[in-house]
Amino acid sequence: MTVHTEALGHEHGHGHGIMTQEEYIEQRDTRFLGFLLFLFTDSIFFTAYIFAALYLRSAAPVWPPVGVERPDVNLGAVNAILLFGSGITAHYAMHRLKESRIAGYIWFTIATIILGSLFLGGQAYEYAHIHATWSGSSFGAAFFTLTGLHGFHVFVGVIYLIVTLLQSLGGTYTPERHFGLTAATLYWHFVDVIWVVLFFLFYIY
Amino acid sequence: MSTDTIEILRRTEAPIHPAPESFVRKYIFSIDHKVIGVQYFIVSGLMILLSGLFAEAIRVQLTAPHNTFLTPQQFDEAFTFHGTLMVWFGAIPMVTGAFGNFVMPLQIGARDVAFPWLNMFSFWTFPPAVLILLSSLAFGAPNSGWTEYPPVSLQAGVGIVFWTTAVFTVGIGATLTALNFLTTVIKMRAPGMTFTRMPLFVWASAVTAVLSLVATTALASALGSLFLSHVFNVPFYDPSRGGTVVLFQHMFWFYSHPAVYILIIPVFGIVSEIIPTFARKPIFGYKLIAFSTVSIALLSFMVWAHHMFTSGLGPWVTLPFMILSMLIAVPTGIKIFSWTATLFGSNLRLTTAMLFVLGFLSTFTIGGITGIMLASVPVDWHEHATYFLVAHIHYVLFGGTLMGVIGGVYYWWPKVTGRLMSESLGKWHFWLTFIFFNATFLPMHFVGLLGMPRRVAYYDPAFQGLNLFISISAFLLAGSFLLLFVNAFWSLKKGAAAGPNPWGARTLEWMIPSPPPYYNFKETPEVYATPYGYGEPLPYSAPYNSVSTTPTY
Ligand code: HEM
Ligand SMILES: [Cu+2]
Repeated sequence: MTVHTEALGHEHGHGHGIMTQEEYIEQRDTRFLGFLLFLFTDSIFFTAYIFAALYLRSAAPVWPPVGVERPDVNLGAVNAILLFGSGITAHYAMHRLKESRIAGYIWFTIATIILGSLFLGGQAYEYAHIHATWSGSSFGAAFFTLTGLHGFHVFVGVIYLIVTLLQSLGGTYTPERHFGLTAATLYWHFVDVIWVVLFFLFYIY
Repeated sequence: MSTDTIEILRRTEAPIHPAPESFVRKYIFSIDHKVIGVQYFIVSGLMILLSGLFAEAIRVQLTAPHNTFLTPQQFDEAFTFHGTLMVWFGAIPMVTGAFGNFVMPLQIGARDVAFPWLNMFSFWTFPPAVLILLSSLAFGAPNSGWTEYPPVSLQAGVGIVFWTTAVFTVGIGATLTALNFLTTVIKMRAPGMTFTRMPLFVWASAVTAVLSLVATTALASALGSLFLSHVFNVPFYDPSRGGTVVLFQHMFWFYSHPAVYILIIPVFGIVSEIIPTFARKPIFGYKLIAFSTVSIALLSFMVWAHHMFTSGLGPWVTLPFMILSMLIAVPTGIKIFSWTATLFGSNLRLTTAMLFVLGFLSTFTIGGITGIMLASVPVDWHEHATYFLVAHIHYVLFGGTLMGVIGGVYYWWPKVTGRLMSESLGKWHFWLTFIFFNATFLPMHFVGLLGMPRRVAYYDPAFQGLNLFISISAFLLAGSFLLLFVNAFWSLKKGAAAGPNPWGARTLEWMIPSPPPYYNFKETPEVYATPYGYGEPLPYSAPYNSVSTTPTY
């Protein structure tokens, strides 16, 4: 179903060439781009604080400062595995939906939600046991601000996934129309990637 | 499916939202970009006035070296409110929220922005932010200037909490507006309107949106860190616990230098629309203007430390920042020359809007030149935090942004209201504003060079004469704005009907009635060329190519 779109300004030089009706509607679908821009601007939040952390680090003679302990790298690694695992399950959930395999979609989404919640549990455990405090040192300031901001994002993501799950049980999403799910999955991957950076920044580097 | 199907699809495109019926949905919680533009115009206009009142209070205090009109504490609050209100609550929402919302979707032939509901939400972050900021007056106002550097800002009590919350809130609206505008420009242009056929104001709005998406979030992080420092005692800025105050300056200026371009680039767009309309010539160097806007935006992220030359960064940091800052003069100069070349040899029609643009060209150029002076490290060591700096920012922000905005008001007023303003009153307004603007801010260069610091309630009696002169000029400058209000009210009551295209302009917003109907364009127009081809037929599909481009005014 392709047509020449003279009507779209083709005859006057730079035209749109060949465009299907779907493409024309697609071109008018603004949500995906809008959501990408949202993620972009959100990433600036993290970027700014990551640079702040690096700046504080460069201003300190030793890092972490004397008397402050690095958080336990094992715990961080376990959390990383939980979160990456949830990224994989989120990916498969999306695929299953596109293949119209609804049961698979539901189970993978539930797995994602559980893994995400476990991550939050791990982080709560870490906050309870770590020897640094938010107000104690520049390391603490950077660590708690960034991981807190990230944890908040994970929390929002878990809620978002639960909402999409309930919605899809109500039949909101179909294999063809599932923008809300695409957005949730993208967001989840975004939060995953941030954790890679934070893990490196606080547990290893 | 045939060509006809697409054709039918395009022409009968479903309305993106139904026309509102109730008063509240029409004027208060409206999702129509035009109404939201007017809402932004009213609130940000009021904020500019309020900010002006604080400025006049500063000038009253400075009429005498040891005046008792304000206490030093109140004086600090006055300049803090002046700057804060002007930048975030006045000028930025004016050039993006008001002008961007009203004009940009019309110029790309769209029926609304990409996300009308989000647009309404963006606006409604604005009035609460104003209330938060103003309520701080009752609890202990912020008083460390619009830049709120720690540690001073953290020692000043609860005001900083109100200040960060208010600016954060209005910043959310600004970011969402930027997201909305960028999506709109990318996705909603009329068929055939390629990027290089977009009106220059659309270019400006899109580039501003990119700046805002990057920078405003960085500002939010800076505000967040101040808020956390005050409320949870987080030691970002406490050297005894490993923090450093210079970090805040980096975070703040990484936003606030791009922010000065958020303030001026839309005005570049306004100017680029007004000049060809009244010169009745194709704009000189369309692509140069568009691409220089992009390069200014890129450069503006690489120059922030020119605000920190006296913060002890060391020569290997300041030197590149100095060179990059001076480099901005190149794309800025390209614009100035393109505009001048458009004017050159034209049969210029000196309407009020055009006069304000000429005022813009002269004063903004002076501000740009003092900017280059300040970008030179050795000069800045002397002039930093003196009245010379104050003179610079007012030549670029008042002489640049505000002059351009007023020009834009005179230009688009007939489109928004459907009525003409009085040109003779407008010309009086221009000349009084232009003269008293220069009388107010030109001498500030001199007191600055003589060494008078900014942000101090008292000064050396040696500077009294000049300061008195400045203050009197400032009162008259404020007075000159009465003419604008008189003109506006007169126009709303008695102004002649404007017709669709009183200036004989060629961009799409002038191809539809004034004020535009609810859906702007009943049929989506097609676009065949840039709008600036004066002397050629209009580059739009019927019925949009049949509007007269002979000026009726
Ligand atoms: C050629 C272009 C420009 C250059 C090279 C330039 C350079 C500078 C420099 C070096 C400073 C810092 C002075 C100091 O703190 O000692 C400064 C301050 C400032 N500039 Fe510009 N400037 C330029 C254009 C603009 C424009 C277009 C605007 C706004 C529309 C602007 C707004 C400001 C403001 C608001 C400040 C003062 C900030 C404060 O309160 O400390 N400048 N400029
Ligand atoms: Cu700057």
